[in-house]
Amino acid sequence: MAEKILEIRNLTTGFLTDGGMVKATDRVSLDIEKGKTLCVVGESGSGKSVTALSVMRLIEYAGGMITEGEARFDKQDLVQKSQLDMLNIRGSRIAMIFQDPMSALNPVFTVGEQIAESLRTHKRLSKKEAWRQSVDMLRRVRIPDPEIRARQYPHEMSGGMCQRVVIAMALACNPELLIADEPTSALDVTVQAQILELLLQLKQEFRMSMLLITHDMGVAAEVADRITVMYAGAVVEEGTAADIFERPRHPYTIGLLQSIPGLEGERGGELYTIRGAIPPLSNIPPGCRFHPRCLYAMDLCRTNEPPLRRSLSGHMAACWLDDTGAEDPRPGNPNNRETKVTIGNRPEVTFP
Amino acid sequence: MTEYLIRRSLQSVLVLFLISILTFAMIHAAPGGPTQVLLAPGLSPEAAKIQAHNLGLDRSVPVQFLSWIGGMLQGDLGHTFKNNIPVGDILWPTVGHTMVLMIAAWLLSLIIAIPWGIYNSTREYGLSDQTSSFISYLGFAMPTFWFGIILQQYFALKRDWLPLSDMYDMDKQGNFGNLLLHLVLPVTVLSLGFLAAYVKYSRSSMLEVLNQDYIRTARAKGLTERKVVFRHALRNALIPIITILGLDLPILVGGAALTERVFNWPGMGRLFVDMAVAREYSVLMSITLVVSVFVVIGNLLADILYAVVDPRVQYGRGGGTAA
Amino acid sequence: MSDAKVLPPIPEENRYEPREKRAKARTVEARPEGPWKTGAKKFMRNPFAVAGLVLLLIFIGIALLAHWLAPYPPNKLDLMFPNLPAGSSGHLLGTDELGRDVFSRLLYSSRISLTVGFSVAFVSVIVGTLIGAISGYFGGWVDTIAMRIVDVMYSVPSLFLNILILAIFGAKASYMIWVLAFTSWMGVARLVRGNYLQLREMQYVEAAKAIGVSDWRIIFVHLLRNSSAPIIVTATLMVGGAILSESALSYLSLGIQPPSTSWGLMLSNAQASMLTDPMQALYPGLCILIVVLAVNFVGDGIRDALDPRKTTIPQRRLDQWRKRFSKSGI
Repeated sequence: MAEKILEIRNLTTGFLTDGGMVKATDRVSLDIEKGKTLCVVGESGSGKSVTALSVMRLIEYAGGMITEGEARFDKQDLVQKSQLDMLNIRGSRIAMIFQDPMSALNPVFTVGEQIAESLRTHKRLSKKEAWRQSVDMLRRVRIPDPEIRARQYPHEMSGGMCQRVVIAMALACNPELLIADEPTSALDVTVQAQILELLLQLKQEFRMSMLLITHDMGVAAEVADRITVMYAGAVVEEGTAADIFERPRHPYTIGLLQSIPGLEGERGGELYTIRGAIPPLSNIPPGCRFHPRCLYAMDLCRTNEPPLRRSLSGHMAACWLDDTGAEDPRPGNPNNRETKVTIGNRPEVTFP
Repeated sequence: MTEYLIRRSLQSVLVLFLISILTFAMIHAAPGGPTQVLLAPGLSPEAAKIQAHNLGLDRSVPVQFLSWIGGMLQGDLGHTFKNNIPVGDILWPTVGHTMVLMIAAWLLSLIIAIPWGIYNSTREYGLSDQTSSFISYLGFAMPTFWFGIILQQYFALKRDWLPLSDMYDMDKQGNFGNLLLHLVLPVTVLSLGFLAAYVKYSRSSMLEVLNQDYIRTARAKGLTERKVVFRHALRNALIPIITILGLDLPILVGGAALTERVFNWPGMGRLFVDMAVAREYSVLMSITLVVSVFVVIGNLLADILYAVVDPRVQYGRGGGTAA
Repeated sequence: MSDAKVLPPIPEENRYEPREKRAKARTVEARPEGPWKTGAKKFMRNPFAVAGLVLLLIFIGIALLAHWLAPYPPNKLDLMFPNLPAGSSGHLLGTDELGRDVFSRLLYSSRISLTVGFSVAFVSVIVGTLIGAISGYFGGWVDTIAMRIVDVMYSVPSLFLNILILAIFGAKASYMIWVLAFTSWMGVARLVRGNYLQLREMQYVEAAKAIGVSDWRIIFVHLLRNSSAPIIVTATLMVGGAILSESALSYLSLGIQPPSTSWGLMLSNAQASMLTDPMQALYPGLCILIVVLAVNFVGDGIRDALDPRKTTIPQRRLDQWRKRFSKSGI
């Protein structure tokens, strides 16, 4: 088994609202192998971004907090670190890029200054050297005329150009892990493809691992090594890209795949939608959180939460209908449904 | 930039021209017309006619307006009706006195309010924040002149620590130390109002900025909280405050007028109130225009400053507003 | 992708959903309580807002019942006993320089202040909304002219303009409402204009136009409903401003004239007899302070209640909650 750069276990993040505590993520577990790309997919409100912000420990600035779990990055638990220690990790070893590049850049500084700031903070470079490297970074994200562009302000650039700047800023200190939160969603379709292509190339160049958050199955299909599907704050399915696209096991994943227009479905047919809407986090249904929208919901689903069960190949899903996990021939397999059913509480997932 | 400056200045001139029309029209809309209003009461019809002729009131309204505006532009503000004193002679000294009071109060409150508001924005609902919001509520709800009267009663009448009113003691005209003593109470009264507003603005402006995406980006870069607040947030937060400083000028001048009246400060505001009671319309018109000139220039300066600090402002078009 | 291999067939009862059933299910789901109801709940949970409302209602009650509550008529002179201190027999707060009962005069004064406050806010909100709506919706030269007028009005300090007008036309209580409204509609106009500029780009405006709804109906029915929240907040806060302006003008003896009475006028008298009776200045000012404070609390309460981002959780609870549940390092 390849070495893991990030291992998240049972990460639970809460927000306090007028209606009491709300769990934005509920016992989320996921792994990223070194040099690989993990895509987290799900509708908006599924807790993808909160997971990312929790790993960065930026969630505290957004009014939330981690109530449970751990996030091991290079053997160290980020959850236990102090904010002061996080300063040496954020931006230098883990970098993050955000959805809307136009608003992610500070309007009163030139883009060159903003990249140089990152370098000066973590690498303690001189002003001149930092500037030289910033221009170099702009060149590496394929921005033409980097010397001129570095002196421009964000509002003088297009959205795609801004996202390149944001990427340059994130990669300036050569991070080991890049978290990209919907990096292409705010951009035009043509630009989206370019940015995605760029990210893939840079991942090779910089030998990074990547956590890419997206609601777009098409994006995931293009870049993912493994895919985690989240729904209403919890992981419902996890597997290789091939697992998810060719052998989906959770009805939600199947629904997501069927709602991609023209990917596989018959042309001229009705566009598939999953019925209903994602529940508000303050009102997660009991049992399986997907059951009110699930076409296959049984009585068991309404009362008992299904465990995440792993098949021999490592493909996991949380659904009572799914019996792939029981195929494991080893006696006493902890993933067998008979031994694993716990009512009301989500069983811990054990990893070999 | 030059083009922007010119266009913005022309706009200001237009506004001033419209204000002069407004003021002039108001006198002419008075019941009985300007003759009734402008002439000293108790004149015989013949004498009134002669005086009206002397004052040029028998000419057509546009002609009167043009000659008035022409005089204004040459610095001739007209004469008072009662004693025929040139308005300029009584007006100009008061302008300086008002400036002393306003600038002292304004600077003091800015120096306190902006750092305070910023501090509070980083510690929302802390003790300091609650104190400042208490002061803000008081400052917005308290009649400034009443606060002045109360201060007078305690510090000047009951305790005799500070002078009751005026700018100098009778025998100490022009003494700087004496001026400072006299400034304490009126500046306190005026500053409270400014302070209330500015702490609130700088706090909310800062909070607004701290919620922006680029602040999250700055944190994601691994910058210290100090750098995030002072380097990334502060500059953005100050930009809207500049505009507010400009827009608030008229309210400040109004507040100064009341304070001057309470403390018998020989400024424009007190003169205005006195002349309103005495119905000296030429003085009232002049002061209204002079005050408006100050306000318009203040707004202009604020806009220019805004354009200088905010790189997003496009000088060529868009009327100077940020994208 | 063939889900049949992995999943059993869809259970009968889930298979076919008649359209009506689906529609019904959706409406039940998509009906959280409206913003106004949520707002009212949030408002009632805000202790300052509730206190402000209660105080305001008390003052309104006093204004309405002043005739029955006041121990003396407001202008009953008693030249034998001027400047009595508070607590003197029969005079709760003493008498003024003409021997009039201060307490009774305070009660009667609330009438003027509240009347002026609410009328000015009412008139200027109507005028401001009208001008702002028309100029924001139509844009073009209408907008240019309207906004130039706003600029002009903003450039003359409103207190100066008020004094000028009252000096020319004569100080009368009935003028005062119009004069104050004349100098305070601009804020609402700018606000409404800004709102309408955004709203008129919305799809539903285009849709309404396409089905032949008249411009006026769009302006005063469709769009007004969508910008009513900020208008209400401004209107409330304007009441306090108008009360303060009234007191200032009356204090300068350009507002309410005797024999009517208002808190500002009482302050003006009090300053004249400051040396003989210092306490007299205290009460009217306190009344103004409390009423304006109450109105502002209500206004801020409404604003916070209608702001979906604002929670009503006190900071202390948030801190406790963090301490208890947070697992992360500090």
